[in-house]
Amino acid sequence: MRYVIRSSRLAAFAACLFVVAAVVGACGSSKSSSSSASTSAGTTPSSSATTATGAPKTGGSLTVLELGGYAGAWPTGLDPATNVNGAADQDQMNSIFGQLFQLSTGGHVTPDLATSATPEKGGTTWRIALRPGLKFSDGTPLDAAAVVSNWKRDLANPCTCKPILPPVKSITAPDSTTVLLSMAAPDGAFQNQLLVANLNWIASPTAIKSMGEQAFKIKPVGAGPFTVVSDTLSNTLALKKNPNYWESGRPYLDSLTFKATADDESALEALQSGGAQAYDGMATPSLVSTYKSHFTTTEQPATSPYDIQLNTAAPPFNNKNARLAIYYATDAAIIDQKLFGNQFQVVQGFTAPGGLFYYPNVPGYPAYDINKAKSLVKSLGGLNVNFFTLASPVNQNFMEALQTLWKGAGINTSIHLYSLAGLIQQFDTKKWQAALQTAGAWDPAAGVGLGFRFLSQSPFSGVHDPKLDALILGGQAQVNPTARDQTYQKAAQYIAQNADGPFLFPLASWNVAVHGVQGPGLTTVIPSVVVNTAPLWQDVSFTQ
Amino acid sequence: MSSTSAPLSAPLAARAGRARRLASSPTLSFIVRRLLAAIPVLLGVTFLSFVVMNSLPGDAAQELLGAQATPAEIHQLEIKLGLDKPFLTRYWDWLHQAVIGHLGHSLSSGQSVASILGSDLPVTFELVGFAFVISLALAVPLALVSARKPNGVADRLSMMFSMAGLSIAPYVLALVLVYVFAVKLNVLPAIGWVPPGQSVWQNIRYLILPAVSIGLGLLCFYTRLLRADLLEQMQGEDYVVTARAKGVRPWRVLTRHALRNSLFGLITVVALNLGTLLGFTVVIEDIFGIPGIGHELLQAIDNRDIPVIEGIVFVFAVIVVLCNLAADVLYSVLDPRIRYGRPTE
Repeated sequence: MRYVIRSSRLAAFAACLFVVAAVVGACGSSKSSSSSASTSAGTTPSSSATTATGAPKTGGSLTVLELGGYAGAWPTGLDPATNVNGAADQDQMNSIFGQLFQLSTGGHVTPDLATSATPEKGGTTWRIALRPGLKFSDGTPLDAAAVVSNWKRDLANPCTCKPILPPVKSITAPDSTTVLLSMAAPDGAFQNQLLVANLNWIASPTAIKSMGEQAFKIKPVGAGPFTVVSDTLSNTLALKKNPNYWESGRPYLDSLTFKATADDESALEALQSGGAQAYDGMATPSLVSTYKSHFTTTEQPATSPYDIQLNTAAPPFNNKNARLAIYYATDAAIIDQKLFGNQFQVVQGFTAPGGLFYYPNVPGYPAYDINKAKSLVKSLGGLNVNFFTLASPVNQNFMEALQTLWKGAGINTSIHLYSLAGLIQQFDTKKWQAALQTAGAWDPAAGVGLGFRFLSQSPFSGVHDPKLDALILGGQAQVNPTARDQTYQKAAQYIAQNADGPFLFPLASWNVAVHGVQGPGLTTVIPSVVVNTAPLWQDVSFTQ
Repeated sequence: MSSTSAPLSAPLAARAGRARRLASSPTLSFIVRRLLAAIPVLLGVTFLSFVVMNSLPGDAAQELLGAQATPAEIHQLEIKLGLDKPFLTRYWDWLHQAVIGHLGHSLSSGQSVASILGSDLPVTFELVGFAFVISLALAVPLALVSARKPNGVADRLSMMFSMAGLSIAPYVLALVLVYVFAVKLNVLPAIGWVPPGQSVWQNIRYLILPAVSIGLGLLCFYTRLLRADLLEQMQGEDYVVTARAKGVRPWRVLTRHALRNSLFGLITVVALNLGTLLGFTVVIEDIFGIPGIGHELLQAIDNRDIPVIEGIVFVFAVIVVLCNLAADVLYSVLDPRIRYGRPTE
C-alpha cells in the first residue's frame, strides 16, 4: 500500500481511543460507584439469605433474564405435555400455570393450587386435594376432572418431560376437588417428584380443545398468577397479571417478561443498563463479586453434585482396583480451591447440602490418597482413561484439572467434549469408560436423580448391580422419611464401598435482582429442584 | 391451429410488439439465464446443508425427548417425524414440497416454516438494512474526504479508524458498545427489540447497537476499498485529466466523475457481503436478544430442526443470488456502455 501509516501515529491514535474510552467509562462509573456504595450496604456476602426487606409494593413491571439454551429456551412451546425443556423452564411454566405444590423458602413443600397430598395403601395410591373454586384464566373451572385430564394427557405423551413413576393403574376424580392416583408399586417420593415434573402444571382442557394444541403451546392458558400477552419462542415471553388468580392480593407485579440472554456477561450488562431487573441462574463463579457489587445476589443451595461416572461393565473399570485408583487420585478439595476459590462444599454422596438426605461423610468412602492411587495404577500395569463430558467452559476446566491430578498417579487421560446429542451417543455405545456428570437432585428420587446415574435400567448408568437397584428403588418406594433416609444412607455407603464412582461437589447458581426488588427464591434461599432455583413469582415485588 | 390469423387490432399489435421487444431484450435474457443458473446453486446449497445436518450426532427426536429418553422412545418419535427414512428420500421429500412452495413445519414447535420466516425475516432485514445504511452512508463521505488529499490528516485518521474497525470482531464490538452506550452512558438499550409498529423511535433505538456492531466492519472495509479505487481513478484515468484540464474543481472531479466509476467495485462487494452479513446476524441477534432469523437458525441447529434450517438456508441462498444479480443489473444502469448480451466495442 502506498500510503503507509506509521506505527507511531497508529499507536498515538490507539492511545487517543483508549483515553476517550476511559473518560467515557469514568463519566459513567461515577454514577455507578455511588450506586454500588449503597448496594454493598444492602448486600450480604456469599449465601446472602435475605437482603431486600422492604414492604411489598403492588404494581410495576419486571423483566427477568434467562440463560439462552437452558432456562431461556422453550423451542417446543409451553404446553406442559410437550414442553421437553419444562424442567428448565420452571419460571415461565410456574408463572402461567401456577403449581399444585411448590418448594418455598427454607426448602419446605407448600400447597399452591392443591391443599394436600396424602399417601394411601403404603404409597401405591396418592390422594390429592385441590383448592375449591379455582378457575383458569379463561374462566373455566380448575377441578379434579381438569387435573385427571391433564395427567392422563401428560403421561400418554411420549415426551420424557413426564415423571418416572411406577406403572400407573388409574387416575380418577371421586369428587370435584379430589384426585386419586393409583400405581402398581409404592412411591413414597411422589409429592416431591411433582416439583420437577409436568404433572405439577395444570392446563385448561377447554383452551387446549378450542385453540388446538399448536396454538395452545404458543399462548397457553393456566390458573397461575400471570397470563400470556405474547410469546416469541426462546426469545421473549410477555405476561400480565391474572385478575382471576386465586390468592387475593397476588401477584404483586402488573407484568412480568422473561427474556433470553446469551450469557452471564451479557446479562450483567443488560442489568446494569436497566434493560432487565432480575436474572435467574447466574452460574459463573468468577462474576459473583461483580454481580454482588451492583445487585442483590443470592447464592441458591445446590443440590446436584458432580460425579465421575465409571462404566463398571467395560474395561478398565470393570476392575474394582481401577475404580479405586480414580477415587484415590481425585482430590475434589484442591479442584474447588484452585478453580472456584473454595466456594463449594465437597461431598461424598449423591446429595448436596441444599437437598434432602444429605450426608457430609459416607463411611467407607475412599478418600484422596495419591500414594494408594500410584500403587494401584502400578499393580494394574498402567491406566489409560477415555474421559468425556458435555462441552462447556466450566466442564472443560474441570476435566483438565482432573487430568492433571490423575497424571500425578500415573493415569493417562484423554478428554472428549460433546454436545448433548454426542454425549447421549457415547452412552448408547455402552463402551464408554468415564464421564464427568452431575448426579442427584433435591430429592434423590426426582429428576436427574440417583436412579438416572446408578440404576441398571437407566441408559445413562455405569452401574448394573441388582443390590444397588434394590436400595435405590427402596428409597423411592418408602413413605416414611426416616426409612427413606436409612435406605439412602445404605445406598451411599454401598456406592462408596464398591467404588462405583467418586463424587466431587455441587456448583451453585445465583439469583440476581436489582435493589428494590424482592421475592422468595429471588432474594431469599430456596433449594433448586433441578439446576436453578425457581422464585415464587406471585410473591415477587418492588419494595415501597 | 390455423395457419392464417385475423389481422390484429392496433392496440393489440402495439402490445404484441412491446412483448416481442421485451422478450428479445438482452438484459431480460441475461436475468433469465442467471436465474436458471441459480437453480443448481440452490440445489447444491440445500443438499450440502442437509448433508451437514445429517452428519451431526443426534437428531430432532433425541433433542425433543431429552436426555432421559430411551432408545425405543427415540425410535418411536423418529418414525412419527419421518426421520427413520433414508437420507436421500428425506431430501427428495423436502425438495419436492419446497418446489411447490411448502417448506414444511418445525419439528420442535410445529409452526410452519413459512410463518417462522414471515415473522423473523423482516426483523433481520431491518437489522441488515440498517447496518448497510450506516456503513454506506458513512463510508462514501469518509472515502471521499480521504481521497481528496491522500496522506493528509483526514486521510490518515480515516485509515487508522478503518484499520481499528477491521480489527475488531463484531461480537467483541457488540460487548464494548453495550458497555459504553448502555451500561456507562445509559443512552441505548442493551437487549431486546421493539417492533416498528409499536414505536418507530424505540425500534430504531433498539437497533442502533446491533446494527453498528455489524456495520462498523463493513464501514471500514468499504471506506478503504472506495478510497483506493478513487485514488486510482484520480491518478490514472484520462477523463480525470481532461476534466482537470477543463478547469473543473478537484472536489467536483472526485464526486461527479471518479465516484461514479469507483462505485462498481463497491457494488460488487456490497452484494457479495450480504451472505457474510446474514452470517453475522446469527451471533449478533443472540447477543442482543433480537427475534430474527439468525437467532432462529441458531435455535434450529441446536434442536436439529432440519425443516427450519433448510428453509432458512434456502431463503438466505435465494437472497444472496438475487442480490448478486441485482448488482450485475445495476452495472448497466450506472454505466451505459455495459449492455448485457451485446458485443463489447
